[in-house]
Amino acid sequence: MVIPAAIITVVASLVFAGSDRTRRTKRYRPGRPYDFQPIWFLASPEQVNGVPAAADDHHQRAIAAPVLEDSTGHRVLPGPVGGASDSW
Amino acid sequence: MTAGELGHAADTVVGEPNAVADGPFSTRQLLRLDEALRSADLQTGLTFSVYIGELDAPTRESAEKLHKQIEDADHAVLIAVSPNQRKLEIVTGNEARKRISDRDAKLAGLSMAAAFAGGDLAGGILSGIDQLASHAGRH
Repeated sequence: MVIPAAIITVVASLVFAGSDRTRRTKRYRPGRPYDFQPIWFLASPEQVNGVPAAADDHHQRAIAAPVLEDSTGHRVLPGPVGGASDSW
Repeated sequence: MTAGELGHAADTVVGEPNAVADGPFSTRQLLRLDEALRSADLQTGLTFSVYIGELDAPTRESAEKLHKQIEDADHAVLIAVSPNQRKLEIVTGNEARKRISDRDAKLAGLSMAAAFAGGDLAGGILSGIDQLASHAGRH
């Protein structure tokens, strides 16, 4: 009687020692809140400036640009910058 | 791991060094990220940077604003990741987009998003930098 109780106690203590739910893990997990400070990595940090003043004025157009497509029919983002967006 | 190496990695980050130490990455991941950025910059002649954090409501515009803050933005490539919004934006400058087409960026974005969906933040970013740099070619 004592031996099964001892085993149960040992196993239970091992289980609860391993799962400290209050401690926040550092790893990102999808669906869990990510509450770290924003970070920005660059090979040389001195390359980041403040926002250039009135940089947008340069690209104001009287009419909206048409939707640009490349040869395969994919949309090319109009404007001076390119790239892509995605979500998961 | 030496203290010197750690300082070197923290060097590449804009903002509070504590934000990096308390961030989601281990020291080993930070070092690999640092190495990836350096070699991508050196190989392509473009400026690669990675932002991880909250982006304002139209995420595309917000990422483009960040991209404008980089010196010589025309040659800069910004990878902006917002884990809370589950959004990823790749912004290439006017010159950079001639070497990394929007389709190449989309392809890199797809594989990054797949890694993020599996919870691998550092791995996704590393493979994204690698793919974008190889699409850009040598300068």
